[in-house]
Amino acid sequence: MKLLAKYNRVNIIATIGIFITGSIAFYFVLRHILVRQLDQSLESEQQEIVQYTQQFNKLPAVIQTNDQQVYFNETTTIPFHRKFYSLYKFNPIEKHNELFRDLRFSITANQHSYEVIVSKSQTGTQDLLRLIILVTIGMIALILLIGFFINRTILSRIWKPFYQTIDKIKTYHLSSQQPLQLEPTSIDEFSLLNENISGMTERSQREYKSLKAFTANAAHEMQTPLAVIRTKLDMLMQHENLLASQAQPVQEMEQAVYKLSRLYHSLLLLTKIENQQFELNETVQMDKVIMYKLEELTEIADAKKITTRIKLSPVTIVFHQQLAEILTVNLLNNAIRYNNENGILAIELNDSTFTIANTSDLPALDDKKVFQRFYRHNDTKQEGNGLGLSIVKQICDLAGYRLAYGYQDGLHTIVIFFNSGS
Amino acid sequence: MKILIIEDEPSLNKSMVDYLTAQQYLVEAVSSYPEALEKIECYRYDCIVLDLGLPGGNGLQLLQELKVNQKTDGVIIISARNELDDKITGLQLGADDYLTKPFHLPELSVRIASIIRRKNMQGNNTISFEKIQLEVAAKTVFINGKEIVFTKKEYDLLLYFLINKNRVLGKSAIAEHLWGDDMDLADNYDFIYTHIKNLRKKLIQAGADDYIHSVYGMGYKFSSL
Repeated sequence: MKLLAKYNRVNIIATIGIFITGSIAFYFVLRHILVRQLDQSLESEQQEIVQYTQQFNKLPAVIQTNDQQVYFNETTTIPFHRKFYSLYKFNPIEKHNELFRDLRFSITANQHSYEVIVSKSQTGTQDLLRLIILVTIGMIALILLIGFFINRTILSRIWKPFYQTIDKIKTYHLSSQQPLQLEPTSIDEFSLLNENISGMTERSQREYKSLKAFTANAAHEMQTPLAVIRTKLDMLMQHENLLASQAQPVQEMEQAVYKLSRLYHSLLLLTKIENQQFELNETVQMDKVIMYKLEELTEIADAKKITTRIKLSPVTIVFHQQLAEILTVNLLNNAIRYNNENGILAIELNDSTFTIANTSDLPALDDKKVFQRFYRHNDTKQEGNGLGLSIVKQICDLAGYRLAYGYQDGLHTIVIFFNSGS
Repeated sequence: MKILIIEDEPSLNKSMVDYLTAQQYLVEAVSSYPEALEKIECYRYDCIVLDLGLPGGNGLQLLQELKVNQKTDGVIIISARNELDDKITGLQLGADDYLTKPFHLPELSVRIASIIRRKNMQGNNTISFEKIQLEVAAKTVFINGKEIVFTKKEYDLLLYFLINKNRVLGKSAIAEHLWGDDMDLADNYDFIYTHIKNLRKKLIQAGADDYIHSVYGMGYKFSSL
């Protein structure tokens, strides 16, 4: 649940609660006051009647009006205490039942005891109360409505910097060279958040950079010793009497140096792609690149008796020649290396996709891991440094191409979508 | 043929000197910028092997010196940095070739031979070995005076063998020479064997001797023995 919605829910429930309690209290207080007022006027009526009776020793003449009636009933009961009460009774003038406030008291005139009932209509009071309650309900509705609009407009505007920050973080990559740019905001909390996020990304980026520099430097520093080993091996090989007994270890050392130097090339290439040292502004004829690289690999494919199915349309893209070649070679290398004897290699190129599919002894690969560095399936028997596909991924990321892996009917398929949207 | 090697790593320097000396070159070696500058100013070399990271200065400055002094020595850069920028700058400053560490000595030798041939336009453009004559400019091969057609890979292989004759050449060195270094070939050298077999067959069919000898399963040697 959104913070805003949660806050609103609590806020609205509390507001309604307070208003209802307030209205009920208000109703009773007001009703009490109004009835008291009515009682007071009944009392003053009583005083007038009593005064008149004492003065003239007879009952006053009464005029029945719309909201006040006075009745005298002769009674034999001894004087009793006066009493206020409300009741519904027939209004002879209005000709219908309505609520009246009565005051009943006894009076003595001319040696006769009378019961006097002064009756005043309570309808006015009722109407007033009803009006007050209506106004209260209206107020509640109005407050809720205004609250709703305030939340809708002002609150969402207040929260805007927060969502902007989130969006920025979502699309931010440490590998991008730019620092994280967050919009300045006038709200202290969000400023604090932005400040700390910026600080954190800056620190991470610094560490990331130094780690990357370390990788590159380490790779560089490895090269001269590797060159020493390689050239010494080249020299060692010239002693044929030594090879007679030591050919195997010398060859294994050769292999190891070869692997190390390839690893270095791959790591350095990855670093360079990440550092965006390639400008993608060359027109590359992908079909030609693929044909050319495929020709170079023909012997290797033939040695494994691989059947190739090739369907290339002429495709020209704005890319980088060297990267296009590396991308193609890596994909082809993989598709041939991990292929089985008498396997299939299918290549298809059209305006929107470059698809390469191959048979293999390996089962379906984990499509979440297949492009990770140094990922190798446990059953992999072939050599390889496990960087080929991550280089492909990195190149595609740089160019904004989408890369997908799938496995169907025994074919491992890798597709590059030149339009990342499709 | 005089070659100057400028490389600060003594062990690597010595390997190059040893290999190239055995190739009948006259090799001199220095290991720092001032020494190199002195040599370059005083003598002329057919080819200079130049490491870029040097104590006392950058190899690229030496290239500039050569250019300023209008020297026409051939230069091959060897660098640990496989940076395109360095490569381009180096070639713009007049270097003839660029080799990334770690390289194979036979590869260096082939590159040097190629540079020297290019610099020596009026010189001999034919490489001869027993019954074989290889015309470098025309990329043609004559055996016993008769032209034999080779595929591009076979021709490259033959040239590689001829430049590095009498030397044992490892399979990985041959593979890297033929396919370049963007191809990952670590686990499969079978297809080298195919090319070697074809080359050997053509040579023998044309009446040459069997010059290509397998050396303990790890490489090949091209010699008349």
